[in-house]
Amino acid sequence: MTAATPGTATGLFADLDTPDPLDARFGDPTDPANPAGFDAFLAADERGELLPAGRQVVDGFGLGAEFVPRGLGGRLGQVDDLARVLRPVFRRDAALGLGYGAINLISSATVWAAGNAEQRRWLADVLLRNGQTAGAYTELATGHDLVRSRLRATVRGDELVLSGGKEVINNIARADAATVLARTSDEPGSRSHSLVLVDLASVPRDRLRFLPRFRTSGMRAINLGGVEFLDCPVPASALVGGAGEALETVLRAFQVTKAALTGATIGSLDTQLRTVTRFALERRLYQRSVADLPLPRAVLAGAFTDLLIADCLATTVCRALHVLPRQTSVYAAAAKYLVPMLTQDCVDELAVLLGARSFLRDGPYGIFQKHLRDLPVGSLAHAGETVCQATIIPQLPRLARKSWFATPPAPATLFRLDEPLPELDFDRLEITAKPDDGLAATLLDVEQDLRDDPLLGPLCGQLVAELAALRADCLDLAPRNRTPLAAPISFELAERYAIVLAASACLGVWRHNQDHPDPFLRDTAWLVAALGRLTARLGRDPVPGAAAVEPAVFAALVERHESNRGFDLVGRRLC
Amino acid sequence: MRHAPYELAAEFDRRLGDPSDAGRLFSHARCAALDDREEFPQEICRELDVLGLPAHYVPTEHGGTLRSYEEAVQLMRAVARRDLTVAIAHGKTFLGAVSVWVGGDRDQADALGAEIAGGTIVSWGLTEREHGSDLLAGEVLAERVADGYRVSGEKWLINNGTRGHLVCLLARTARDAGPRSFGILLVDKRKLDPASYRTLPAERLHGIRGADISGIAFADAAVPGTALVGPEGGGVEIVLKSLQLTRTLCASLSLGAADHALRLGTDYALRRENYGSLLIDLPQSRRLLALSYADLLLAEAVTVVASRGIHALTGELGVISAATKFFVPNLVEQAVKRLAKLMGSRALLVGDTHEHGRFQKVQRDHRIVGIFDGNSVVNLHSLVNQFPLLAKSYRRGTVDAAGLTAATTLTDPLPEFDRDRLTLLARGGCSVVQALPAGVAELTALVARGEVPESLERTAIGLKLAADELLAAIAAQRPAAVDVPAEAFDLAERYTACFAAAAAIQLWLRNRATVVDGPAGALWRSGLWLEAALTRLLGRLRPARPDGTDDVFERLVEPLVAQHEAGQLLSLLPYQQQEARR
Amino acid sequence: MTTPKQDTAATDTAATDPDAIRDWLLDRVAFYLERPVTDLRPDVKLVEYGLDSVYALTLCGDIEDEYGLELEPTLAWDHPTVDAIVTLLREMISGNR
Ligand SMILES: Cc1cc2nc3c(=O)[nH]c(=O)nc-3n(C[C@H](O)[C@H](O)[C@H](O)COP(=O)(O)OP(=O)(O)OC[C@H]3O[C@@H](n4cnc5c(N)ncnc54)[C@H](O)[C@@H]3O)c2cc1C
Ligand SMILES: Cc1cc2nc3c(=O)[nH]c(=O)nc-3n(C[C@H](O)[C@H](O)[C@H](O)COP(=O)(O)OP(=O)(O)OC[C@H]3O[C@@H](n4cnc5c(N)ncnc54)[C@H](O)[C@@H]3O)c2cc1C
Repeated sequence: MTAATPGTATGLFADLDTPDPLDARFGDPTDPANPAGFDAFLAADERGELLPAGRQVVDGFGLGAEFVPRGLGGRLGQVDDLARVLRPVFRRDAALGLGYGAINLISSATVWAAGNAEQRRWLADVLLRNGQTAGAYTELATGHDLVRSRLRATVRGDELVLSGGKEVINNIARADAATVLARTSDEPGSRSHSLVLVDLASVPRDRLRFLPRFRTSGMRAINLGGVEFLDCPVPASALVGGAGEALETVLRAFQVTKAALTGATIGSLDTQLRTVTRFALERRLYQRSVADLPLPRAVLAGAFTDLLIADCLATTVCRALHVLPRQTSVYAAAAKYLVPMLTQDCVDELAVLLGARSFLRDGPYGIFQKHLRDLPVGSLAHAGETVCQATIIPQLPRLARKSWFATPPAPATLFRLDEPLPELDFDRLEITAKPDDGLAATLLDVEQDLRDDPLLGPLCGQLVAELAALRADCLDLAPRNRTPLAAPISFELAERYAIVLAASACLGVWRHNQDHPDPFLRDTAWLVAALGRLTARLGRDPVPGAAAVEPAVFAALVERHESNRGFDLVGRRLC
Repeated sequence: MRHAPYELAAEFDRRLGDPSDAGRLFSHARCAALDDREEFPQEICRELDVLGLPAHYVPTEHGGTLRSYEEAVQLMRAVARRDLTVAIAHGKTFLGAVSVWVGGDRDQADALGAEIAGGTIVSWGLTEREHGSDLLAGEVLAERVADGYRVSGEKWLINNGTRGHLVCLLARTARDAGPRSFGILLVDKRKLDPASYRTLPAERLHGIRGADISGIAFADAAVPGTALVGPEGGGVEIVLKSLQLTRTLCASLSLGAADHALRLGTDYALRRENYGSLLIDLPQSRRLLALSYADLLLAEAVTVVASRGIHALTGELGVISAATKFFVPNLVEQAVKRLAKLMGSRALLVGDTHEHGRFQKVQRDHRIVGIFDGNSVVNLHSLVNQFPLLAKSYRRGTVDAAGLTAATTLTDPLPEFDRDRLTLLARGGCSVVQALPAGVAELTALVARGEVPESLERTAIGLKLAADELLAAIAAQRPAAVDVPAEAFDLAERYTACFAAAAAIQLWLRNRATVVDGPAGALWRSGLWLEAALTRLLGRLRPARPDGTDDVFERLVEPLVAQHEAGQLLSLLPYQQQEARR
Repeated sequence: MTTPKQDTAATDTAATDPDAIRDWLLDRVAFYLERPVTDLRPDVKLVEYGLDSVYALTLCGDIEDEYGLELEPTLAWDHPTVDAIVTLLREMISGNR
């Protein structure tokens, strides 16, 4: 294991009053004259083009370095920091954030996890000079079922010969490097695929065919393409890790990418909430502002709460990659499952509030419908809901049997937003979780201290009851229902478990950040609201009196809106 | 069973031809291309004109072929199933004209009927840039002058605002505040001095991209006095009554969208392999399909009852239309979202990779149905305003038995629509909901006779308890005119679920003996579709932890696949569709 | 029908007897496949029975819990038959002592 070196989160609360450097480079998104503002991104989306001014900002900032581990000369340290660095990009344009940003993590993480020194150095170099990369893992015919994917790599002398196609691949036509998942054995099963790092500029180009661009309803600007290798030779040294290790590598590396991507997309939700809050404050109806009406207030306060829940879960899971690496196979899937779902539900409610303007592509709120279209694309890309649930399901019975109500709580470091973390070590990530579910145990831990609280007590009680019921249900699951081919009940249990984890994350974040500079986050109103939203999702009755926290949450929302601060856990000034 | 409105729709669908044949004007390929280019579906609308659809927008008494609003709903659904842009662009004439059927005099209505049958486009101008839901805040002014009105001001977000020939305009006829300060003018743009008005550019939209959603600005436009529809202060009242019809009719758009999405989903599930099995054989995917089918059937049941209710329960339409306009689009939205999970990346791809990118188009397009003609909040608000009456009538069990029977018995002829029975105050509450306890009792009796499974009874009784509890909570709600608390909206939403349950129960009870043939028979026998629908609703009203025993959805898969494979409408009353089978 | 229905791992953890390990493992595999244990042969690849990648990972967790070991989760990928796993386990268990 690598020795712990300090991360960067120490300074997290140091410059709350100045915008994040990348945010500052982009400038005020609402300024129509800003070449990298919302209007420009909207226009680029219409053209199906990544906004050149946006790419310049990202290149000028050297975003590529964020995906390169420090040891290789980059800035990748803590994954929670990485997620936060990406938020200003997602706040403006998820297509740029994914298609010109996070995609580079998706294609490189497998190389950081399994590549040799030479491969790592080469790929680091590509990214450090703002090169673009592609991760050609899936095929249209087999989707997430990588075990059945068909593109082949055959050893011929000291060469590997690639043949076959990959479709719906981000960046492929313009990438310098591509990580390709290829079949290296005809045997069925999980040892038949390997990863190949392809230097696209140096392969014989006549052995490559690029497919026409795939277009999507959202993130219209991303460059989704496809590639067909026609007996295309690459050096045998292009093999990443051992032959047959691809699935294992992918299962480890994608924990990092899922967590980071989930944390990054909170920037997009920030924009949605900010846009509709502005509308509600400006729009007049029945001689008052919409924001004066009780229902819109409830919707806005609820959305703010959901954003905080999402950030608690995403940030905790990002930090868990460093602190509880043996658990993150299931945590990362839970975050990538639940956060997009919460976000979608909450954005749908916001759309109702925005009314007709949620349907207009122009005008002062036009950015809303763009993020609305982008969201499902981001949710599906890189592990959609079903796939994440299917990752969680087989792991539940063992957690139920060996861990829940037995494992001690996670260490405070997991939750302390400004505490530096040990270095990320891909080798310590496990492809299935060990029975040490510290995050779920935090619920039981914090609950003990809150029993006397008239609101948090009963709310935690409901969650503990849920965990107990989950435990019974998961122990009871028929064998078939523990597989990805499980019956719906398993999928429902996976959802409930993800909700319990989110509640635990909220409790942990609240408990261990009592020195947060924002008194609102030290106080309990948001926590009551958050647990209330989560228990409602579990179908539990509302706790009497819990709704009384809404004015405090709404006031904090308006305060952050007016002082132009982020709605996330950090609450930094925005540009 | 043959049911006239469905037969009419089937015949119309037949005349439109196979949408997968690119040589047909109303084809999937053309709709996708038009959407891509944001082009108005000119040729397709023309095709609908040629096939005589406009005459169906005109009641027979005014020279058209519209015999019942139930027919209109099934026809519009058949159009919407192919494409929502077209349905909304063409069908707007119908919605725009309703104010005249509701509030106009005989000559006006006959004249309009002749215009529409001849292809005249009518739009409906209510909304202004600064005022949407709050009709009473409208600023467009119609000042009385010697020979009519002088109209000024802007209406914005008007469907066919540019292309329309006539616009049915809500305008202020008096300066003081209040509901009697507005009138409706049927403005003929063709006869206006061109200098006195201009149309606004079409907005660029999230969905229905090809539609003409624009606006019109008047500057001292001279409109003849004969354009006035109804009495001078009667505008708001006529609009509110018209909305009772149009909100009910909007359900057809949602049904069409659900038909389309579910067909795409079923088709994909039957062909796509994953993990070595077809998606349809993966339990979770199967469930996603079955739930969506259950939702579609429930939405259909509600829509059938509501559209028949226009004739049979006219005095209660204020409740029925609000409940339907909230419930159906909302349910379909959920179903489409669920189907998107099944479709995976194919729910997002535009272009030729998969089925012309139809899924993402349906999903984008359908969002509008919940927004226009009174958005979900407005409809729930309208129910909240009626809470005291609804609570009282439920407690008393008031039911218009004849009306309810006619609304729910498909073999019964519908009474003529009588506009004089429209009222802004549903004095009798909502017979459909108020008949819920009796309906559940009937089901219980059938269980005793072994005609339906006990599981259905349990669910139905659960629903009745939930309804009792809900109506008690509604009774306890303190009335508030504007500052309605969020909880009241939640109660109203639940009320719509009770309404749906009650409508489904009545529809099944009254027709179970007559609909027994074909693939639909399996749905009706032993109450299968009803049980599925009620199970969904009970889950919404009283969420419970999953227990893995809800096999009613498993039983739905077979009829779904059977209807799909037979090329039939996925429906309670299926008919043969023109879409080619694969 | 001898398909085990319950999620109780075999109890006798002291067993290093290869037959006992093999029986226990076959039992677990039968459990996941929902097939009678008599249908299964210890020298046939698990993947041929349809024990796909993720079940195989789950199996590894069961073995860890049963024998108190820490294993590579990909154990069943690399030792694709029951016999192969038994051989490995025997070595590990005796090595542990
Ligand atoms: C594609 C399209 C086509 C259209 N076609 C037409 C047309 O042909 N003719 C026409 O006249 N109009 C048309 N409209 C306009 C549409 O009907 C209105 O926009 C809609 O009725 C509501 O208005 P609004 O969205 O502007 O919201 P507003 O009325 O301004 O309301 C703002 C928000 O306040 C909330 N709200 C409203 N009432 C309450 C309440 N009581 N309590 C709490 N919250 C409340 C709502 O959620 C709403 O989101 C169209 C709109 C679109 C997008
Ligand atoms: C915007 C975007 C960008 C992308 N970029 C890349 C990229 O750069 N590189 C790359 O390699 N790929 C990329 N992809 C592809 C992506 O990662 C997936 O391969 C693709 O989305 C898989 O989805 P699918 O719908 O094709 O198939 P699948 O994931 O195979 O899913 C098909 C269906 O099976 C269902 N299903 C799956 N598991 C189960 C189960 N256990 N039980 C029941 N049903 C199940 C799913 O719900 C779905 O209905 C991208 C996709 C998108 C949309």
